[in-house]
Amino acid sequence: MKRIEKRNKKILSNKLNLRCRKMINKIEIYLDNAATSAIDLRVSEAMLSCQDMKAMNASSTHKPGVIAAKAVEKARTVIAQKIHSETQELIFTSGGTESNNLAIKGIAFANRERGKHIITSKIEHSSVLETTKWLEKQGFEITYLPVDEEGLVSPKDVEKAIKQETILVSIIHANNEIGTIESISEIGAICRSKKVYFHSDACQSFTKTRINVKSQNLDLMSLNAHKIHGPKGVGALYVRNGVKIEPLLHGGGQEDGLRSGTYNTEGIVGFGKAVEIAEIKDIKKMAKLRDYFIQKIQNNIEGVDLNGPRAKRLCNNISLRFRFVNGQTLARELNEKNIYVSVGSACLSTKVAPSHVLLAIGLESEQAQETVRISLSRWTTMEEMNLVIQRLVEIVQHSREIR
Amino acid sequence: MTQKKPAEVLNLEGVACPQNSAKALLKLESMEVNGILEIIVDEGEPIKNVPISLEAEGHEVISKVKIDKVWRILVRKL
Repeated sequence: MKRIEKRNKKILSNKLNLRCRKMINKIEIYLDNAATSAIDLRVSEAMLSCQDMKAMNASSTHKPGVIAAKAVEKARTVIAQKIHSETQELIFTSGGTESNNLAIKGIAFANRERGKHIITSKIEHSSVLETTKWLEKQGFEITYLPVDEEGLVSPKDVEKAIKQETILVSIIHANNEIGTIESISEIGAICRSKKVYFHSDACQSFTKTRINVKSQNLDLMSLNAHKIHGPKGVGALYVRNGVKIEPLLHGGGQEDGLRSGTYNTEGIVGFGKAVEIAEIKDIKKMAKLRDYFIQKIQNNIEGVDLNGPRAKRLCNNISLRFRFVNGQTLARELNEKNIYVSVGSACLSTKVAPSHVLLAIGLESEQAQETVRISLSRWTTMEEMNLVIQRLVEIVQHSREIR
Repeated sequence: MTQKKPAEVLNLEGVACPQNSAKALLKLESMEVNGILEIIVDEGEPIKNVPISLEAEGHEVISKVKIDKVWRILVRKL
């Protein structure tokens, strides 16, 4: 055991050294935390501790199995507390995409006798939109609600769209591209009064806004770990007690038969740790830096527009349009200077077509392609913000001169 | 005389092995030493496995009583 501890300590110290060396030799600024975030060392330490504890298969009844099950249940308790749910209302999954698929297909197939109508919005993540598109092929009717110029879904539109056959409303909590925080409490109240299930994809907002599944009337909510400095490949779906869903994966019957597959113990433990160490002060810090950045950029560069709202905005999201400058070009030039941002959603960055979210808020295709998304983490500093502002001023000026 | 009245009750009916043991052990972690926990588990594998897991972590299983279709275990945190 001591040998393992010593080895783990060595690994951690090597990692720390590597980070420090990087900082000395080359300044790198990672501002694509909405795509994924770096694992916190406390998280990797917790994950490594699974090996120290000799945690094995969390479905085995021998001692190493019980150790693993205990670690899984401990993480479940931490995550449940964060969203104010009961522990048995959380199902561990492989991430946000699976959680969204399980929520939507799960409700659709468990309730198809009741109705085959689902309401969602035009600015959902592709793991929701591709799922609903697939359900259309299976005979379901989907309503895609529009949004206003800030990306907000109107709760009144939700109410109007609900009909006798509606079984589910799925609205993203905070948009991954433009950071709009939707009025999920109001939408939740409407859905509950109309007896329609309400799902929200909270992969971007989890630990970055307050979530209370009870007071916000949520029936299902998707969460993931890798956006909050946890490991990739692990997420969760909150399913309110009494809400029936059909599983996607059949097999060993884990998670009350709703998600078969050997528990990803290390991943789940890392997820729990990431949630445990997330602090309210991080939200405030990121929001402050976000507002500083937006103001400073708009004061220093002409023709910069903010996509999404100023107030109802995710604390770490900055989505800006630099008129007459292509977003891809801008991101590439920043990349050359070791500043990493994206042009929108990471999942869409390989596609040439303009983002469906930016088109939905009323932008022309050309305007949409002038967008750059800068997403902060709890480690982002004022110095980094100032350096990026300086670089952006230079790049934008140069790009406009040569056009 | 040592107190045998449970401070807390944990109903693990319908919870499969080893999640029932895990939940019971976590509950005990949150309790004070010498505190007594009443655990309700199902017949079959749970009543065979849960007491073993509790004792493996050093807790004292005081009693196991069958009530209708379930079992009531009294355990003292050590």
